[in-house]
Amino acid sequence: MSFIGDVLGEALQLLGRFGAELREVLWLTMVVSLVATAIGVVLGVPLGTALGLGRFRGRTPLLVAVNTGMGVPPVLAGLLILLLLWRDGPLGSWGMLFTPQAMVLAQSLLAIPIAAGVTAGAVGGLSPIAREQLAALRLGNATSGWIAVREAWPGVAAAVAAAFGRVVSEVGAVLVVGGNIQGETRVLTTAIVQEARQAQFGAALALGIVLMALALMINSALTWLQLRERRS
Amino acid sequence: MPPLIVEDLRYPHDGSIISVARLSVETSGRLVVFGPNGAGKTTLLRVLAGVLPGGPSIAAAYQPQHSHVFRGSAGWNLGLGLDPEQTAWARTLADRFGLDAELFVGSARALSGGERQRLALARTLARPEPWVLLDEPLAALDVADRMDVAASLVASLNGKGAIIVTHDREEAAVLGERVAVMVGGTIVQEGPVSEVFSLPADDRVARAVGVANLLDGIAAGREGPLSAVRIGPLHVWGIGDLEEGAGARVLFGAEAVTLFPGHDAAAGSARNRWPGEVSDIRETGRLIEVIVDVGSPIAALITPGSREALELSRGVRVTLTVKATAVRVIPR
Repeated sequence: MSFIGDVLGEALQLLGRFGAELREVLWLTMVVSLVATAIGVVLGVPLGTALGLGRFRGRTPLLVAVNTGMGVPPVLAGLLILLLLWRDGPLGSWGMLFTPQAMVLAQSLLAIPIAAGVTAGAVGGLSPIAREQLAALRLGNATSGWIAVREAWPGVAAAVAAAFGRVVSEVGAVLVVGGNIQGETRVLTTAIVQEARQAQFGAALALGIVLMALALMINSALTWLQLRERRS
Repeated sequence: MPPLIVEDLRYPHDGSIISVARLSVETSGRLVVFGPNGAGKTTLLRVLAGVLPGGPSIAAAYQPQHSHVFRGSAGWNLGLGLDPEQTAWARTLADRFGLDAELFVGSARALSGGERQRLALARTLARPEPWVLLDEPLAALDVADRMDVAASLVASLNGKGAIIVTHDREEAAVLGERVAVMVGGTIVQEGPVSEVFSLPADDRVARAVGVANLLDGIAAGREGPLSAVRIGPLHVWGIGDLEEGAGARVLFGAEAVTLFPGHDAAAGSARNRWPGEVSDIRETGRLIEVIVDVGSPIAALITPGSREALELSRGVRVTLTVKATAVRVIPR
């Protein structure tokens, strides 16, 4: 047990110092994850709402695509973005490879299907009575969708939480397109991989604790929003 | 605005098919679609409303049977889909339907089922479309309030045409000018409410509407909870509260009518006592329906035993009595 104790002690010591490098990694993690989550929500929630409410041509294949997308391995999403952004790739001229922007792009690709899939489930789960009333109001797609999202809010909040959880915890995509460059593209998960590989377990655990604290903070906020809305 | 005409409508329903050869409603007319549960009334209305695909496209405001309020205030729910002017009109209508304006600031979730229904009706009638399609618009209301709201509803149509689904005979009589009786996915009889309810075309219609007496006249006085209605030479007393001179409709079941032989039959506390002649006798299953002409045709249900005891046949003179408490007087 002294090994675990030593590692924990070292981790706490590092957390106590909270050095500049750790702050930098934490900041980049928050920015990349939150922007990717925001993109995922902005694109995924409307898509999920349409899938949950609508009866349009192509709905079924789209739903299959979204459900499959929810399970795509992050490293594969990373590989896809890598191929697009590679020097000789279709978007090579953008010069985005190994930048935080590329990481946001790759993580958005992971966030969209999660946000869409969970939202589709929540909106699709609205009662037939609510859906019939919504149809009877003839409000147009955007307003109907907005009301459906409000109505299914606890489920949609879960979609946001799931999207954030997916991107903040993944390592494959950011590693492939970001490259884990110190001071540039290193985030908490890639830093943990790096430290663990070098047997710097105290540092790795310290990063892990920070990651968990970040997730706890964001999810506390989301849960508060979820419950506050439910009471109204 | 042209009349509404729907022809050759077919739609799958509950393992069978709804098939309507023709359905028409005059401009500003009110058609009640009446029938037992499972007849396909709701499905028909949903097809007409465009909620189910494949129907005709009708410019109609539609309110489903079960109203739903969305997360937000009652006032916000009332204004859904309406512009500010229409919302103001919806508030006026809500007031007419007995919805307290104080409720609008509170959460819609706090409204009772009846209040939600009133809100939904006000919102639907405030919409700009020239037709309204209402599915059981009074079902969620307390029985005591139904006739009042029904009368307000009819008065608030303002020239719009309406198709209203109900399975309640009284509601149909208040809400409709014409009635289409739907059984097993098809319309089996269509015509003026009084005609269809008092003279069902066949057994299926008779079973759907029940054998009933429905007469139109003019309110001719009040006494306590009772109103009198003048129908030609007849004076009919029933439960109701109508201004003298108002158009009135009288409803009572054929089972509420008692027959006495001759014209000087006495007895009993019945307010309504009319001499007449038997004009028709029909077998309706185990009972016998006797039509007596007392100035208007009145249906009475009797047992085969009574028929023999009274020695009934066409042309026999009888006296009818109906207790006023068995008669419903409603606005027309």
